[in-house]
Amino acid sequence: MLEFIFAALLIAAFVTLFIKSGRIAAIISLIASVMPLVAIMGWANEFGIKTISFGIENSMNFSIAGITMHLSITSFAWFFAVMIFSLLPPIFLFSYSFFEKNNGFFPFMLFLVTAVFGILLARDFLTLFFFWELMAASSFILVYIGRDKKAIMSYLAFSILSAVLILTGIALLYSQNNSLLFSEVVFNSDIVTVAALVLMIAGFAVKSALMPLHAWAPFVYSKADEPFVAFLSGGVSKVGYYGMFFVLFALPGAKILQQYFNSNIATYLLAVVGAISAFIGTLLAFMEDDLRKLLAYSSIAQLGYIAVGFGIGSSLAIAGALFQAFNHAFFKSVLFLAAGAVAYRTGKWKISELGGVGYKMPFTFMAALFAIFALAAIPITSGFAAKWLLYEAAVSNKYIFITPIMLIAGVGAFLYSFRVLYGVFLGENRHDDIKEAPLPMVAGMFMLVMPLIIFLIFPGYMLDMMHSALVNAGIGTISHTDYVIRTGMASYNTLAVVIGMMVSMIPAFLIYVLRKQKKVDFKDNFLAGEPYEFYGYISMHAANNFYKPIEDVIMPYLRRGALSFYTALYNIMGRISNALRKIYTGLSQDYTIYIIIFFFIIVGWLIW
Amino acid sequence: MVITKIAIIALYTTAAMFVGILFMGIGRKIVARVHNRVGPPVYQGFIDIAKLLTKKTNISHGWIYDLALLFSITGIILTILFLPIGGVKLLSMEGDAFLVLYLLAIPALGFALGAGASGNPNAAIGVMRALVMMLSYELPFVVTLIALMIYYDTSSIAQIVEMQRARWAIMIPPFVLAAAVADMALQGMLMEAPFDIPIAPHEIASGPMAEFGGKHLGTLMIYKAGTIVAYTTLFVDLFLGGGVVMYDGSLLAHIANFAVWFVLIFIVFTLSLLINTSFPRFRIEQAFKFYWKYEALLAFISLIWVYLVVIS
Amino acid sequence: MKYEDWNKISRIASRKSLWVLHFCTGCGAIELPPVMTSRYDMERFGMGPMATPRQADVLLITGYLTVKTLKRVVNVYEQMQSPKYVISFGSCPINGGMYWDSYNTVKRLDRYLPVDVYVGGCMPRPEGVMNAFLKLMELIDEGKARGWEKYQKYYEQYKRNQKMAFNFGGEENEGA
Repeated sequence: MLEFIFAALLIAAFVTLFIKSGRIAAIISLIASVMPLVAIMGWANEFGIKTISFGIENSMNFSIAGITMHLSITSFAWFFAVMIFSLLPPIFLFSYSFFEKNNGFFPFMLFLVTAVFGILLARDFLTLFFFWELMAASSFILVYIGRDKKAIMSYLAFSILSAVLILTGIALLYSQNNSLLFSEVVFNSDIVTVAALVLMIAGFAVKSALMPLHAWAPFVYSKADEPFVAFLSGGVSKVGYYGMFFVLFALPGAKILQQYFNSNIATYLLAVVGAISAFIGTLLAFMEDDLRKLLAYSSIAQLGYIAVGFGIGSSLAIAGALFQAFNHAFFKSVLFLAAGAVAYRTGKWKISELGGVGYKMPFTFMAALFAIFALAAIPITSGFAAKWLLYEAAVSNKYIFITPIMLIAGVGAFLYSFRVLYGVFLGENRHDDIKEAPLPMVAGMFMLVMPLIIFLIFPGYMLDMMHSALVNAGIGTISHTDYVIRTGMASYNTLAVVIGMMVSMIPAFLIYVLRKQKKVDFKDNFLAGEPYEFYGYISMHAANNFYKPIEDVIMPYLRRGALSFYTALYNIMGRISNALRKIYTGLSQDYTIYIIIFFFIIVGWLIW
Repeated sequence: MVITKIAIIALYTTAAMFVGILFMGIGRKIVARVHNRVGPPVYQGFIDIAKLLTKKTNISHGWIYDLALLFSITGIILTILFLPIGGVKLLSMEGDAFLVLYLLAIPALGFALGAGASGNPNAAIGVMRALVMMLSYELPFVVTLIALMIYYDTSSIAQIVEMQRARWAIMIPPFVLAAAVADMALQGMLMEAPFDIPIAPHEIASGPMAEFGGKHLGTLMIYKAGTIVAYTTLFVDLFLGGGVVMYDGSLLAHIANFAVWFVLIFIVFTLSLLINTSFPRFRIEQAFKFYWKYEALLAFISLIWVYLVVIS
Repeated sequence: MKYEDWNKISRIASRKSLWVLHFCTGCGAIELPPVMTSRYDMERFGMGPMATPRQADVLLITGYLTVKTLKRVVNVYEQMQSPKYVISFGSCPINGGMYWDSYNTVKRLDRYLPVDVYVGGCMPRPEGVMNAFLKLMELIDEGKARGWEKYQKYYEQYKRNQKMAFNFGGEENEGA
């Protein structure tokens, strides 16, 4: 069964390499990406609800040149697989209209999908690393298509860094156990194992853009094609968190770290790093003018919440983290796709140049509005349930520094959400000649918004889906019914919120309906009596330097950050390499002298 | 049983909104007396809202602009439903303090959308200042909220009210500091001077309300009345025992609790009004620095104090 | 509830809470702060200043109006929502006042905007202004303050007058 899926994906990838038209390639990719999703959904009865261990009995094995790779599904991998693969059909539907010519997006996306599928199904370290490298290679080529030097170089550097860290961790573990299979790894708490675990977590954290390893994210997210960036921030970052979940909770990494340090200090550090990511990512987000960079920083911030959940480690926290991962995959993809739709129609990226797009593209606006409601964790969407679980977990474990930072990051999400909404979609209408985005794009975006609405009313279904993942990893469960979640400290009843909202809407609706109103033109606005047409250069769009007061206060403290560290490192390496380069002078006399010196060194070494 | 519960909920919510509109008039009267003049009658709030809702022409800038109307009243009534008022837990067993904190953001979001859709640049600047102020006062406020949650080991507001039967929270030493910090945050939440930056009439032509008139402005005033009740009730529930003095659930107990709650929120509101009349307006970066430097420092001191009390 | 009763309630609400637009033209603006503050307190009648015309009921023309200001005032008046009232201070809106032979001011405001209450004087003292407010409230109560309906009914005539005033100097003064 698994062989068919892999074969289908690879065949589709190779076929789309040679197709020039974007539309046909999109249709082929769409069909090819639906198949894994159907297969995964079909496994729901077997893997979603029951518990299963991760032995290799019913796994599929590849043997190439005497090396065997084992692939099978486990229940927590199933949860991540559902999340990531549900993103694909809407993204390919979107890219049907986005790409007219096939510029290499489709084949390498299919390679990327294959690689992600392989990572989720890996049963030994070699398979994991092989597919990790495949994922890095195919995503690198997709970034290369964007043709921006900084993006390409930073992504390459950080991909290599993550690969090296993971490989070192695997090597250290192999040196202890002499076997690469997951089920045969034996853990004793000594320094080698701890070092291996820390290195592997760091390697996975690079892909998930956790501070301070996040420096590639703003460059890459702003300079690649939108559907790819939607999958990158929605899907690939979740693969990094799958790796972290796997190391911490499936292999008993958290317990090892706790035993070694005799306290929770290591996972607490992970939670602190996540909280700082959330906080500083939010602060940096609302100073950006470029729409995609703003969404990149917001991605870094929202992903930090997941690390906090993993760091706290109780069942509430992990459930909240997984729920947040699920929500993030969907709302971030919708936002990047909406940005792509807006750019497709207007051709502009900067918020200060856009404006009033929402009046002409109402469906894009509604999809983006729902996604922003989920991002800001408004209680009428499912984004709130995830954050609620995280807050409850943090307070019940009495983490007094992480909780305020998380809450402030949640409030800060309103700030940059409003900047996106007002700067791009509302405000002065400067683009009178654009039409709504093409139907496949709108359909793709709405398909991604659906789960956010479904799980708003019934968070219990989501918790059921996570149930086997949590149990399989040895963490407890959470008491819940279909729409009530109960923790030790309080309970949250979504049905009450929804019914309360319906009832509260009645007075507002009565007032709205009973008093008639007249629509006036946008230009009939209060400008102290001045007519709008009088001065041709009045701009009523206050979107430039929107948050200048707070920027002036905060920027002095944020000038030295991870980015300046990396830039300094880059400059130092550049200078060292430049100095070393001077050996190659190009004159044959110098090369002769080098050979003679080297010959004498070898002779001298052989003698002594 | 369910019918009586629903009737009580409806009664208390309507009473809360009435109290809010009454407070708007009483507030103007108190400010007038401080200024040594007579001031409008205490029922002025009702007349203002009636006048606005019976205007003969109303303008609108589109469907997004009307969302402000819908979200604001929906949000504030929903928030009041989840707060215990005078000891009656309306729906507050179904949600906790975090839910209330986020529900208070729904009407703000609705107004932000409406103000943005009206297209006036003053409105956009006003919303920017309102959001920055929300970011500023949230930090000290959530820190004191977490201090309360750690001390009482619950995050549900109804539970916190229950646990203050023996002693009000403000009588415990670390919470005196926390209550002072929360009172300053309340000043920002109610948008009273010195923090009435977003609705400054002379600087940015009243900010987000620049294009609001007629029925939209009427709903804004109802929303403002609701926020007065919601925020002061939140403060009273967290620090002053929620105004619960009799616990036997009889009719006399309900009346007594309602009266005590009314007196307590009146005292809190008067305190904020008195600060309102004595201070001019801050600039937005001064407000931001005030909340994040001095208030946050005091709040963290109280949080660490509570933490040390709890783990010992 | 019959239509007259509903109108009556609307009129009572309108009378007891008049909001004045804080858009002061000309030299009468100096008489407004004493009326608003502690000595002659207008807030006890429910009146208060508002920042934008969308929120206000009463437009105060406080003194002389140049043609340039008249154009803006007409814009502001049309942005207000009915029922709306206009009170004019001073002798200048009545018959030109001190500037009776100037080329640039408006001699009879009634040609361009429907005025409900005139206050004579140059400038009227705060007691006069309070008297005007009370007179307006009386007129609203009797249902005689119908300036906005007059503006709707005679819209073309008002517009023609305004156009003639704005174009008084020929083409080069088109934008004044």
